[in-house]
Amino acid sequence: MRTSDTKRTKAYGKEKAATAVLVAVWAVLAIFAWLKPPADLSLSERRTLRQFPEISLRTVYTGSYMNAFDEAATDQFPLRERFRSLRAETDRYVFQKKDVHQIYLANGYLAEMLYPTNEKSVRSAGAACRDLYQTYMKNTDVHVYLAVVPDKGHYLGAGCGYLTLDYTLMCEEMQKEFEEAQWIPIEETLSVEDYYATDSHWRQECLGDTAETILDAMGAKAFTDLERRTATTSFLGVYAGRSALPVKKEPIEYLTNADLEACQAYHVENGQTLGIYDTEKLQGRDPYDFFLSGASAIIEIENPNGDADRELVIFRDSFGSSLSPLLFRSYGRITLIDTRYINSDIISKYVEFQDQDVLFLYSTLLLNQSEVLR
Amino acid sequence: MVFASITFLYWFLPAVVVLYFLFPSKWRNGVLLAASLLFYGWGEPKTLPVLCISVLIGYAAGLGMEYVAKNQRHRKILLWVAVLTEISFLLVFKYTDFFLTNWNRLTGSQIVLRQIALPVGISFYTFQIISYLIDVYRRKEAPQRNLLRFAMYISLFTQLVAGPIVRYTEMAGQMEKRVIHFTDIQIGIRRLVVGLSKKVLLADLIGECCQAAEKATQPSVVLLWILAVGFTLQIYLDFSGYSDMAIGLGRIFGFRFPENFRYPYCADSITDFWRRWHISLGQWFRDYVYIPLGGNRCTTGKWLRNLLIVWFLTGFWHGAEWNFIIWGLYFALLLAAEKWMLRGSRGLSEGRRTQGKWLRHVCVIVLVVISFTIFRETDLHRLGTTLAGMFGCGRLPIVSRETIYILRNNFWLFLIAVMACTPLGTYVSERIRRGNRRKRIFGILEPFALLLLLLTATAYLVDGTYHPFLYFRF
Repeated sequence: MRTSDTKRTKAYGKEKAATAVLVAVWAVLAIFAWLKPPADLSLSERRTLRQFPEISLRTVYTGSYMNAFDEAATDQFPLRERFRSLRAETDRYVFQKKDVHQIYLANGYLAEMLYPTNEKSVRSAGAACRDLYQTYMKNTDVHVYLAVVPDKGHYLGAGCGYLTLDYTLMCEEMQKEFEEAQWIPIEETLSVEDYYATDSHWRQECLGDTAETILDAMGAKAFTDLERRTATTSFLGVYAGRSALPVKKEPIEYLTNADLEACQAYHVENGQTLGIYDTEKLQGRDPYDFFLSGASAIIEIENPNGDADRELVIFRDSFGSSLSPLLFRSYGRITLIDTRYINSDIISKYVEFQDQDVLFLYSTLLLNQSEVLR
Repeated sequence: MVFASITFLYWFLPAVVVLYFLFPSKWRNGVLLAASLLFYGWGEPKTLPVLCISVLIGYAAGLGMEYVAKNQRHRKILLWVAVLTEISFLLVFKYTDFFLTNWNRLTGSQIVLRQIALPVGISFYTFQIISYLIDVYRRKEAPQRNLLRFAMYISLFTQLVAGPIVRYTEMAGQMEKRVIHFTDIQIGIRRLVVGLSKKVLLADLIGECCQAAEKATQPSVVLLWILAVGFTLQIYLDFSGYSDMAIGLGRIFGFRFPENFRYPYCADSITDFWRRWHISLGQWFRDYVYIPLGGNRCTTGKWLRNLLIVWFLTGFWHGAEWNFIIWGLYFALLLAAEKWMLRGSRGLSEGRRTQGKWLRHVCVIVLVVISFTIFRETDLHRLGTTLAGMFGCGRLPIVSRETIYILRNNFWLFLIAVMACTPLGTYVSERIRRGNRRKRIFGILEPFALLLLLLTATAYLVDGTYHPFLYFRF
């Protein structure tokens, strides 16, 4: 009897100890949450974290203090990245979810499940392109071209049972809305391997065929002496950050030669003149900004080794940043315009349309939510 | 403030627990009251005075009934005045726009809606105050003379916003004296973490699935059923999870609250379902409305009238929309039909009665799923379209590509959620505990399993934005 009593007491003691461990972990996390200095940024999510608010009678009365506190307490919680990974892995391995925050991992690639196709948005993007043409290019000698960049899911999703955008429909709608442009089909020049595994964008070093196809259509030449270099080996793209799924870092590689190194890119918005590739951006929130320094309303590029009489204007989104250097060879002057950041009405202040080659190059990601175009 | 939030779990609760156990026993009710007012004011500081006034009216009326104890007529007047005042608060804050909308519709007038902020938990604490007043009137309980204790009973944060509706009878003794053993804390933490997991890991994820199904561009018959079943699972896991947390928190502070759910989706009749679903509300209506009206010990006509009144009120209590009233009356109809159909089964043997039990289960589940479709859809036109679509009358395809994806994406989640709606977990843990050795191992491993659940739930809170609480609006 005594032995069994002792056993029972010991077992109860162990139960108590196990419960104490649970309470202790809870308490440590709470203390950590109370005392941890607030962080400013979440690099993986590429956003600023909310800060604890200043208290005042008015904010307490309106409840805005409490809301801001709740948001900050969530954002500033200790071990945030670990917890985000735990969530992603629970979704994936316990609940067998096919996607985490609409991001899925298939064949080693992360992709966003973009769905459904927003036909209205595509039509509106097409109409916006046509409006630009009608306003600035109609009675000029410009040659207008149109290409649509498929998102990674187009090559990856359907085969793995994911919902995808209807690329064919989007291309048809764009061509219908913007009949004045010469269509350049680039779908066949790409495959899923041409995209970063962890990011939405394509890899510049794989865009040779795409660039050639576009240049062929425009009657221009491609570089033949490009050298492949590595900018960084530790790139984690936007999808890795958003999903928090465990994926390997990958390199950002780029193509360059003496001509490209001689190019100067003038950023109209901030008046800075930089190179084509911006190594400083590799340390920033989005290392993909290495290409042409990321988002910028208008970039004017001088190519001293190009044909001084030939000019190229590209209306583009972020996919254009990495592709466009591969198109520079024949052109002495290149202007990149991103109408997400500049109102279409004031473009004439910066570009005079006469006889340039004008390429409209937009990705399906943007066309499906074209309300961001201004 | 909601339980399923970082602020509550890692800021508010640890602070309250520490203060509670630091203070001597006689101060603890005060600590809980202060914490409860902070908890309530955190979410909606502007409506805190409404809670305070309701509490004061309840307290004063209780004392008043004692003061005029010998004059039954005065006691009755006091009761009615207090109850009607409490109900008027509920009507004003919760139902004003409903009445105005319908008045505008009926008369064609265009009275501007007031859009009054709904004090969180008003339906719950109003019912608690009314039950207190009626119990005092019926002399079942002596009125509470200590305002602090009474205020704590009504506003106790553990069950303030979402129940269970705890009767004063159950709380009176516990407010005087509470003994807390280590086992209470163990059990309390277990209930709290299990409830949190039901809410955050299951209900919220199913809620996300329902959102995806609602937004689907290719609706189908199967998708509408996924949505209906999903919402049925979500509302149970959400509400029962919250009740579990309330019961667990109460236990940590030494209170024993009544159970609010007993695996309702395992019911084999609608009557049985309502004995298992939101038990404290069902019992409230039974004791304070149904039985005073005459219950079922009267003529069939009167019984039907009583049934309709109770279920009309039950539906209306849930929300200021017609769909809630239809939902209540739907159950009145089902209960009446069930009673009529089973009228001959009283004399049957146990064996005969258990015949077709599985079929009855399935019927109950289907009827309950339909009921929660009514509950979910506040737009009556859409409700009609949805119900028609579910039964193949909406010219919808049986299945679509999108449906298949949603089904594949959520299959395991639904499976786990279905299991969480059954006593399977309890059954398994009891089986494990049968042997002495296994019981000891289980006792040690269980806290670590709970820790894993807590950390996982925290992960979902840290990395998620979708944490609604469905019963908050009540």
